[in-house]
Amino acid sequence: MSQHPTSSLAACVWIPLFPLRCEEERQDGLAGFPTALLAPDTTRKLWQVSSLARHTGVKPGMTVSQAIGLCPTLRLIEPDPVHYDEQFAYLLSALAEISPVVEAAELGLAYVGVDGLRGIYGSAGKIIEAIRQAVRPSDRPTVRLGWGVGKFTAWVAASRAKPSEAVVVSLGEERNFLASQPIAVLPLDTDTHRRLRQFGIRTLGALTTLPEAAVTAQFGATGKRLWQLAAGRVVERVQGRVEPEPIAAALSFFSPVGERELIVHALDQLIARALKHPRRIGWRVHALRVRAELEGGGSWLTAHLFKEPTADAVRIAAPLRVRLEQSPPVGGVERLVLEFTGFAPGTSELQLFARDAQAAARAGQQRALRGAAREIRMRVKRAVLYHIIEVQPWSRLPERRYALIDFEP
Amino acid sequence: MVAPARAPLRTDRLRAVNEPRQVAVEVNDDGSPAALKTLDGWTIGLLDGKIETIGETWRIDDEWWRQTISRVYWEVILEGGRRVVLFQDLISTAWFIQQP
Repeated sequence: MSQHPTSSLAACVWIPLFPLRCEEERQDGLAGFPTALLAPDTTRKLWQVSSLARHTGVKPGMTVSQAIGLCPTLRLIEPDPVHYDEQFAYLLSALAEISPVVEAAELGLAYVGVDGLRGIYGSAGKIIEAIRQAVRPSDRPTVRLGWGVGKFTAWVAASRAKPSEAVVVSLGEERNFLASQPIAVLPLDTDTHRRLRQFGIRTLGALTTLPEAAVTAQFGATGKRLWQLAAGRVVERVQGRVEPEPIAAALSFFSPVGERELIVHALDQLIARALKHPRRIGWRVHALRVRAELEGGGSWLTAHLFKEPTADAVRIAAPLRVRLEQSPPVGGVERLVLEFTGFAPGTSELQLFARDAQAAARAGQQRALRGAAREIRMRVKRAVLYHIIEVQPWSRLPERRYALIDFEP
Repeated sequence: MVAPARAPLRTDRLRAVNEPRQVAVEVNDDGSPAALKTLDGWTIGLLDGKIETIGETWRIDDEWWRQTISRVYWEVILEGGRRVVLFQDLISTAWFIQQP
């Protein structure tokens, strides 16, 4: 494999509250209500809160009972990290159409390496417009774009941009631009943030007026990095990922095979074997090719490009079955070779963004549970399953501590 | 690929858990429960009988600022060894059974 491609000039694509946007995108009318997503790791607390809910005083990290107390019409939504990862993977795939250097930072936040793209698109404005078009139409009103040298400058620019707009920091302007920004844009923990404020440091400019050595002495290696970021001294390059090389699996038959069912069965085996290949982990299959060596020297070839990349064996096999029915090999097959030739970022890797792998596993279990619940509801025609949620677990009155809420798929 | 949209959890569909259920109780001269008779619910008839032992007892007075709640809880052992918790609502004097 070659080295990871990198780019010093970066565009930052930021869709704030991306998981909440995903829910609004798949549930019509939800955006018109105050909504909150429950935390993936504990359903007692809120993770993300819509702006309508914020106006009523509801904040992330609050317990459900606190939030309901402030906003009785609040709609609570269970998190579905796997779905958010899938949606984010689509965004990354779309961005990869614009630049080969795309780096995912967290759900809803990605960097696009834009070195050399002016030759293709022209101006920075045109590149930004192309990036905007890569975002789902439903996210375009909220996406914020930033442009600058290095990821940090691009991120700060995006964080300063208004929804659906872009902030471009021209080459050489980084230092002036960063100087006026609040220290909250730095990757700080709350303790360091508090200490910096206690020192009276409110902006990156104020931080860089201090000697680098003094900041390092006070805050250690973290302080040194913060100072360098604030001064625009470090340029963190966008690190792209290199797609894996093609993965091939082959099967030779003892005697030429002409029955379609046998060939289909052999293909299923090859797909399963190729999917298990270690290089495939973290990637979904975007393109594949199947070739057959035929009795008497002929050959048969088919290729397929998946509109939606997948790692599901059944979905990979489906177009191949259709092709085998419509135009099967014209002779006995002696050897069958399957190659995965194109890949898209897969969810197994991206699930790391969903807070942690455990949360993602829990989301998988919940999805299975939802399937079972749907089945039960179809059979009995009414809600018979409930969630138990804590309402006032501290109450001295036992009936106030917990409540039941309909469990609906 | 993508799971169908789910209905959001709505607060207007909250149902109480562990609501007290009214029971009929015979009391001793000192006001402590002597016998229990269930009036409804799936336990109807199952818990009926004399009270063998009285364990802990405690009182809750709460929400005096809106609608006063005043209860005396009794942890009792029924004939046959089953443990239940009863309380008497001191406002209405009615008896209830409830998990503590």
